[in-house]
Amino acid sequence: MKTDLANGQTLKEMFASGTAWLEKSAPDINAINVFPVPDGDTGTNMVLTMQFALQEAKSDSDSQASSVAKSLAHGALMGARGNSGVILSQFFRGLAKGLEGKADFDGGDFARALAGASQTAYKGIANPVEGTILTVLKDASKAAKEAAKDSHAMVTILEAAVKSAEESVARTPSLLPALRDAGVVDAGGQGLYVLLDGALQFLRGESQKIQYRRPRLVVAETEFVRRVAQMPARLEIPYGYCTNFVLEGRNLDSGKIEKSLKKKGQSLIVTGDDTLVRVHIHSFEPGEILKYATKLGRLHEITINNMDDQYAEFIKMQRERMPQVDIAVVTVATGDGFFELFHSLGNIIIVPGGQTMNPSVRELLQAVESAPSDNIILLPNNKNIVSAASQVGSLTSKKMKVIPTRNIPQGIAAFLAFGYDLNLEQNAKAMEKAVNRVKAIEVTRAVRDTRLDGLEIKKGQFIAILNDEDLIGRAGKVREAILDALGKAGAEKAGIISVYYGAEIKGAEAQEIAKEVRDRYKAEVEVVHSGQPHYHYIISLE
Amino acid sequence: MVKVVTDSCSDITPQLARDLGITVVPLYVQFGNETYRDNVDLSTEEFYHKLKTSKIHPTTATVTPANFAQIFTTLGEETKEIVAITLSEKFSAIYATALQGKAMVEEDCRIEVIDSQAGAGAQMLLVIAAAKMAQSGANLEEIVESVKGAIPRVHIRMTFDTLEYLRRGGRVGKAQAFLGGLLKVNPVLGIKDGAAFPIARCRNRAQAMDFLVDFVKAFGRIEAVALEDATTPEELELLAQRLKDVVPAERAYRSKVSPVVGTHVGPHVLAVSVLEAE
Repeated sequence: MKTDLANGQTLKEMFASGTAWLEKSAPDINAINVFPVPDGDTGTNMVLTMQFALQEAKSDSDSQASSVAKSLAHGALMGARGNSGVILSQFFRGLAKGLEGKADFDGGDFARALAGASQTAYKGIANPVEGTILTVLKDASKAAKEAAKDSHAMVTILEAAVKSAEESVARTPSLLPALRDAGVVDAGGQGLYVLLDGALQFLRGESQKIQYRRPRLVVAETEFVRRVAQMPARLEIPYGYCTNFVLEGRNLDSGKIEKSLKKKGQSLIVTGDDTLVRVHIHSFEPGEILKYATKLGRLHEITINNMDDQYAEFIKMQRERMPQVDIAVVTVATGDGFFELFHSLGNIIIVPGGQTMNPSVRELLQAVESAPSDNIILLPNNKNIVSAASQVGSLTSKKMKVIPTRNIPQGIAAFLAFGYDLNLEQNAKAMEKAVNRVKAIEVTRAVRDTRLDGLEIKKGQFIAILNDEDLIGRAGKVREAILDALGKAGAEKAGIISVYYGAEIKGAEAQEIAKEVRDRYKAEVEVVHSGQPHYHYIISLE
Repeated sequence: MVKVVTDSCSDITPQLARDLGITVVPLYVQFGNETYRDNVDLSTEEFYHKLKTSKIHPTTATVTPANFAQIFTTLGEETKEIVAITLSEKFSAIYATALQGKAMVEEDCRIEVIDSQAGAGAQMLLVIAAAKMAQSGANLEEIVESVKGAIPRVHIRMTFDTLEYLRRGGRVGKAQAFLGGLLKVNPVLGIKDGAAFPIARCRNRAQAMDFLVDFVKAFGRIEAVALEDATTPEELELLAQRLKDVVPAERAYRSKVSPVVGTHVGPHVLAVSVLEAE
């Protein structure tokens, strides 16, 4: 397996070509950035990181591969911005390690270096998450290693890596729920794919094409039917400050630094060696972080960005890209089954929350503000969220109606009653009417001995509550609690009984209970998975 | 006297066509190689029986311009004025075909072709109104003006137990918003700007019936209604009973969706159409 060798110059040109390609894709990458913080800057951050890396490599007159790789790594570390930038710097660090001592390299060396880069990248992250740039890097390096069994030609190896990276990007939504919910592929992963693809174009002698063409976004494997209006309001807020700096000192211990900073914020990344350490952290008190770091050495390249501002910018950008609708519906729900159910019924923005996890006024406001319409209908779906929902009306400049839905079945009934030919007021009326036709029974397990509505309840007993108010069933077995409750709730008058079973319940059990309900009552009985964490069953009577 | 022509998608019964002197141009239903003229070679009952038993899913086809030209020419021997009211051009090429047919006619006969921007019972009510005007001696201009003026006043609501037929036939339009739901619903659609439009989702058939009844009751003054089913005459009877105090029987036209319409709406459709009074 004798092939042409590449030197440091080739390495430089490869990544210069990759960066040029990446620059063209940056706006698209920014637009799909939703994880870990949807601040819409992944593309820009990666480009800026690469520019630093290239600058450093350019000023390196040595054409040895090992030297250029080291310069790239050093430059990337100094210039790293954001999560993806830091991971990119880790990538180059691993690559440099793999090419250490080599004046030239072939595809086999490169494949090995890629594998090392992948490992280094994983190690640099406190909590690696799959479905991100890390997964794409891992998959690309695996494919390169596999290809290196048959050939050591650089083009062949990089081709395998690029192809695998693209496929991996397409799979990211199935690995990371935040991406799936937003209907996008991972931004960082997309960036890495484009970077490697640009490098490949150089090796193929096609880099002049970069001037005329533009990288396309990888299309997700799974189809997203409703990308619109699902985008925002899925992540915890507020976000605080994104803090970045390079720490220069002596005998720095990045492990120890990481340990000390871990409790001070999220998305922590600490990378580097004993003289130079890069830190990236999301924190509410960046001052604390800097105070700690200045004790250890001198700080460079300090950037502190307010992520709330960035988020607001991002939302604005998303809004501009989203087609506006006449009326947008915003709701609160919990459980993957309910998420899916709501989305299947039409365009809707879901704020995660419900019993024991009420969203704040601010979260609701943010969802309302981000919705692609100036007319909003808000369904709180919980009696404890109704008042927060009502406050949103005075905070937003949009026209908004709150339908005071007190539970999820009411929310579903309201959403089903949404009329595409009706205006805001007419819809509010139709929805309120639909809500009044629904009774909801919520079934859960008592967590301690207690008295409710004058009745003794033992810990572990199943209790059934009608319309969030009246205890109408209690029993040791869930089946009995349900049947008891149905009798008292007037199920004989219902036309439809929907059984939504929670996260802890198996479908077969729910089907069995449904069968019994069918035998007893004339109503149509429907069984749907809710994935609800709090209620074992939610049953609606219409 | 002005002659009124329409296509079989208006669901006008043969009886009514005879009584009002309406010429109905049948479209075609095809099961594989077998071709049937809508409501002529194949009744609604026969069609749904075939739909159930045949392995082949039917398709529909429009007539040729020459067919239209021939019909216009034949009618031209009796009259010098013809008005043709067709199914919405968003659903079929029949409107364009009728226009082409008109251009082929050499006889000295004035022909006006109107796109009803509707179908089924809604189209039927427009055609009936035109035929009644013709019978009472109105001229072509008067009829055309009246029909065009009535188009915004006809409204249709159809309920389905599945939109699968409509989707398969490629005529689901904006009602695709109702596809893919994880709950069983009975969708109610209307026609807006000549195409299917999502109106409401009811949780069961009983609610859907209520919806149709409430829909009719909400109108102030009604000139006529059309009530249609496909394979559920007992439901149609129930619907008629519930509406008998709202619209007198002689202005409530009952019919079945034709096989061509049935191909796209399925066996469990129930439709009400209203022509509002001016």
